[in-house]
Amino acid sequence: MLEQEVADGASVARLSIRNLSKHFRGSTALDGVNLTIREGEIHALVGQNGSGKSTLIKVLAGYHSPEPAAKVDVDGSPLHLPPRPSDLRAAGVSFVHQDLGLIDHFTVAENISVGHFETSGPFRRISWTKQNRIAADVLNRLGVDIPPTALVATLPPSQRAIVAIARGLLSQTQGRGVIILDEATRALPKGSLDDVHDVLKRIKADGGSVLMISHNLEEVITVADRVTVLRDGHVMFAGEPTEGLSSGDIAREMLGYELESAVHSGADRAVKRAEVLRVKAVSGPTATDVSFNVGGGEIVGITGLAGSGFEELPYLLTGATHCHSGEIDVGDVTLDASVLTVGRALAAGLALVPERREHEGLAFEMTVADNLTLPRLRSKGRPWFVGNSWRRQETTRTITQLGVIPAHPEALVRELSGGNQQKVLLGKWLAGEPKVLLLHEPTQAVDVGARHDILASIVALAATGVAIVIASLEAADLSAICDRVLIFKEGSPVATLEGASSDEIIDSIYLASAMDSTDPK
Amino acid sequence: MTTTNRDLTNSDDGALNRPGEPASTAHKRWWSPRTFGERYLLAGVWVIISAFFAISRPASFLQAGTIHSIFSSGDVYVFLGLAALITSVVGELDLSVAFIAGLSATIVPVLVSQNGLDVWTASLIALIAAVLAGLVNAVIVVVIRVDSLIATLGTGTVFLGIANGISNNNPVGGLSPGFALVATYDVLGLPVAFWYGVILAAAITYLLAFTPLGRHIAFVGSNREVARLAGIRVNRIRFGTYLFAGLIAGIGGILLSAQLGGFQAAAATTYLLPTFAILFLSAAVVRPGRFHPMGVLIAAYFISTGTLGLQLFGLSYWTAQVFYGCALVVAVALVTLVRRKTTSA
Repeated sequence: MLEQEVADGASVARLSIRNLSKHFRGSTALDGVNLTIREGEIHALVGQNGSGKSTLIKVLAGYHSPEPAAKVDVDGSPLHLPPRPSDLRAAGVSFVHQDLGLIDHFTVAENISVGHFETSGPFRRISWTKQNRIAADVLNRLGVDIPPTALVATLPPSQRAIVAIARGLLSQTQGRGVIILDEATRALPKGSLDDVHDVLKRIKADGGSVLMISHNLEEVITVADRVTVLRDGHVMFAGEPTEGLSSGDIAREMLGYELESAVHSGADRAVKRAEVLRVKAVSGPTATDVSFNVGGGEIVGITGLAGSGFEELPYLLTGATHCHSGEIDVGDVTLDASVLTVGRALAAGLALVPERREHEGLAFEMTVADNLTLPRLRSKGRPWFVGNSWRRQETTRTITQLGVIPAHPEALVRELSGGNQQKVLLGKWLAGEPKVLLLHEPTQAVDVGARHDILASIVALAATGVAIVIASLEAADLSAICDRVLIFKEGSPVATLEGASSDEIIDSIYLASAMDSTDPK
Repeated sequence: MTTTNRDLTNSDDGALNRPGEPASTAHKRWWSPRTFGERYLLAGVWVIISAFFAISRPASFLQAGTIHSIFSSGDVYVFLGLAALITSVVGELDLSVAFIAGLSATIVPVLVSQNGLDVWTASLIALIAAVLAGLVNAVIVVVIRVDSLIATLGTGTVFLGIANGISNNNPVGGLSPGFALVATYDVLGLPVAFWYGVILAAAITYLLAFTPLGRHIAFVGSNREVARLAGIRVNRIRFGTYLFAGLIAGIGGILLSAQLGGFQAAAATTYLLPTFAILFLSAAVVRPGRFHPMGVLIAAYFISTGTLGLQLFGLSYWTAQVFYGCALVVAVALVTLVRRKTTSA
């Protein structure tokens, strides 16, 4: 039945957008965009930051009004523009946003039903039995087993995303409706993406439609049936089937030029200098007895399964997380890891680029210039005056070097796109001339263009003799720029790869974990 | 009404100044009419109400005595507002500043009239007590990690109790008119305490904007974890702000007792709400959305002008309270509206 519909019913549009244009004060955000989402398909919408995809989502959500020629139909009936929340609910269009919008200390059932509580009796008491059953029904439809009474705070990241999706489905009739995922998977660790993808496939098999916005092109190719690419407000790929496409094909349409396939190959740059960083028997909460060396100009990747301890190291080695024991040599200086503080690590030349940029990396309400120059206010300024000329010079240089857009030192970091924020985060440490730079997931949730810029800057930094350690689950990044990759298992490195491809890295990660199951010692 | 119209025009001008720039990349320039309107809205309203009082009650409002009295009644609020500000910029809320000021304002006349100390020794002891009060707050909030709102609500009440205790719940006087001159001496036609406030506000503005310490303070307030990972000693800065807040509140208290010739401890409670009204009003001027020392200065004199003007109409004390409350809500609402108008268009 379903297959038939899809086969002969290419004309059946669940959501159809015609001639959507939007200009902001003279600049074009969207120009005559058409987009058709069929019944029972997963449709991906990709584009660089500024390509217009957020504007498109905001028009659908009723946040922006489009220009009058636009027409949006859901199941053949026109949607009033801009739609009100009740219009969207009636039409079966729901959104799952980047931050998921869950309340941590509420239960799964409360989070799913918020706004649609079933009440009974003269005091309109909420019937929790009924509510829990409703939540369980929706979750069953998705084929997942999450107890409705569990607190959302206790769920792993993938289940949190699934709860947010389930909430979106609640107001939809089974097998109808569109669920729009606005980068809802961006914060998920790589390992838990599969669970969410299974849920999306389940929705599709039911006849529901999914529009997913994602930066992760691998995800687009594996999960989506068709992809639409936006560039500067124009449609480049209009619902191109993903079968047979490579991420390079999509990236080319997004950027309008060929992305260099590899930022560098390890062999080009094999100028290894004296060892700058020596990590000796460092232990932390998970990491146990970790030792390795990094030469000047060398880029070392550390990876493993989530929770294998590699992700702790950048924080342990820079004093951000407390080490239990160990020593760290930076050049000629030996640091006792157990009493390491951020201040001492910085003084020795160890700089950290943390993962969660909005929590640990950048002050979002401060300007780009403020954030870039923060670590050096004391060393470069005088106690009674921070000085302006060095700050201006440093800011301008970093902005140009990394291609931060808008190139405006006084812009608030909050106003920048994710990729540009990440550039600022990296740039904060570049000007400080660290001896060792430790990065955790430096390309998380940035678009392909920014990813390229960031990786290229890391390579350029290594070329100046800085020792670099990258903790990441992105095998493609590691294989693109690392000279060596250490694979972690249960808190320690168990294997070293040189010049490995991303497939080899992934194989080693799983091999390392498989050794675990075959050899219980 | 007048002000509302002005805002709308301003925001339109702002838009016209930058054709072709999408909203997300439009950055505030300090000279654009919109930014100016946003920043000096309250100063504008202050001028308007002053003009209104001047026109409707020219005989009384425009007298030197009235103007003098506006400037001398506002300065304690400048000190209290700045004390509250210094902890607020690192993301804390110190409710006890009004009570610390009350404590030091009570200690001075008590020591002078009951213990026979000279007024300078008494002031020094009062100042030390104020810094110790700040130290107590710092230990409870920073070392023991109690939420600042709860901790300072508690300690503030304790300070009030102590002040009431040492003065036996009675007003204490006995300070010489000579001592009053430390606050009321005329400099350029205005009481010297006004100039203290101006200098202190200017100094804190400079500290926050132009010194490494001040920028570190701003980062601690904006994102503590980012500050920590940049090697800033976050807790040391938080600790210091409580001591500094105690010091400034203490100075404010001493000036207050000098002006009044004494103090009644229970009166400290009446300074609490205006202090925070001024603190939050300061976030509606100069740099909207951020507490600003110069904003504290403007807000403090805005409020004392309004209060005094209403008294000239023969309206009683309750109208002043209504005025504080309305001024706070209306000013913050206006700035919110102006900002929304300019960011979402």
